[in-house]
Amino acid sequence: MTGRDETDLPGGWEAAAAEYVLGLLPEAEARAFHARLGQDRDLQRDVEAWQDYFSTLTDEIAPVAPPPQVLRRIEARLYGRRRRGFGSSLLPYLLGAVTAGALAWAALTTGLVGPAEDPHLYAELRVPDRGLDMLAHWSPETGTFMVRWDGGDYPDDRALQIWVIPEGAETPLSVGLIARGEGLTSIWLPEDLAAQVPGATVAISEEPEGGSPTGLPTGPVLASGLLDARIPASL
Amino acid sequence: MGDRASFRTLYDRTSAKLFGVCLRVLDDRTQAEEALQDVFIKVWNNAGQYRVNGFSPMTWLITLARNAAVDRRRKRDAGRRPEPIDAADFVADPSPGPAALLEARAEAAALGACLRELPPDRAEMVRRAYLEGATYAELSTATGVKLNTVRTWLRRSLMQLRECLSR
Repeated sequence: MTGRDETDLPGGWEAAAAEYVLGLLPEAEARAFHARLGQDRDLQRDVEAWQDYFSTLTDEIAPVAPPPQVLRRIEARLYGRRRRGFGSSLLPYLLGAVTAGALAWAALTTGLVGPAEDPHLYAELRVPDRGLDMLAHWSPETGTFMVRWDGGDYPDDRALQIWVIPEGAETPLSVGLIARGEGLTSIWLPEDLAAQVPGATVAISEEPEGGSPTGLPTGPVLASGLLDARIPASL
Repeated sequence: MGDRASFRTLYDRTSAKLFGVCLRVLDDRTQAEEALQDVFIKVWNNAGQYRVNGFSPMTWLITLARNAAVDRRRKRDAGRRPEPIDAADFVADPSPGPAALLEARAEAAALGACLRELPPDRAEMVRRAYLEGATYAELSTATGVKLNTVRTWLRRSLMQLRECLSR
């Protein structure tokens, strides 16, 4: 902080959250605020709420189509480079959420661009009595298997392991462990395993810390679901 | 769907709104185009930072666009004299008609109603800060009120807003 006691100003951290979203905090205070934000869930909620409310000030702003060269320039900058953007495999989530959201101004009359190659696959995994809510997502072009954690508590002293059971097979193949405390677990699959994902069922079992010692599920299967190209409503 | 196709669809769906936001903040087509490019490059590189369980993705995108445009505007306008804000110039916004209310998102209606409870010049400061990236120094010049006083006023108004929005 700049030496000034935060309480000198009315509203304390709560007012600072609004100033932060408006970009009004002096630089030193913005840094202190940002540091605190990382550890203060209530403050994070305040920031998100302010972003949500203030962004409605743009509701009255009419959309204006940007000239076509803007997209060309963006694509040239993105794909002209060799490395793909890390995290871009999450774009389908974002797109799904934009599509699912009730956006009056978005012309949602066109369907999604049809899958040109291998489709993304999804399975909703829920354990209602434990409040667990997960979404499995297979991204074929990046070769990553993802599990999004949507709700529930990760069991203490136990691990949750992801399995795929290929179509027509009996034996589950281990994909990996769901990362504790992460909103999204992302696991890259080797080609031989990736080839067995289409048509497979995904299952989550409870295992000792570190995962099943035998290579097969040893604990109870908590949830399972068929991987499907249909984009789930929860996306 | 491939990432590139996803990106293209996302761009098709959202770029006009985000370009509108950049234009509103910057009031300059070339600069708004540059800001829009920054936004989509951030989206591609940082899609992982979008917290799936957080707020709406449009809020995230609009926030990115607004911040990118405000950054550019502040660099451009550093030292420029802002339009004055005179309390006497502002009459409270009339309440929106029922049709407008129906169309507006619940958050928009709530914010609009709560801004109308503030003194009109304070509500204008909040709008300028968000939509034009006005700083305290600029708000101080625009109102002819000392910076620290402007800040104290605005923080009180923001707390009043927060209280109203949590009702």
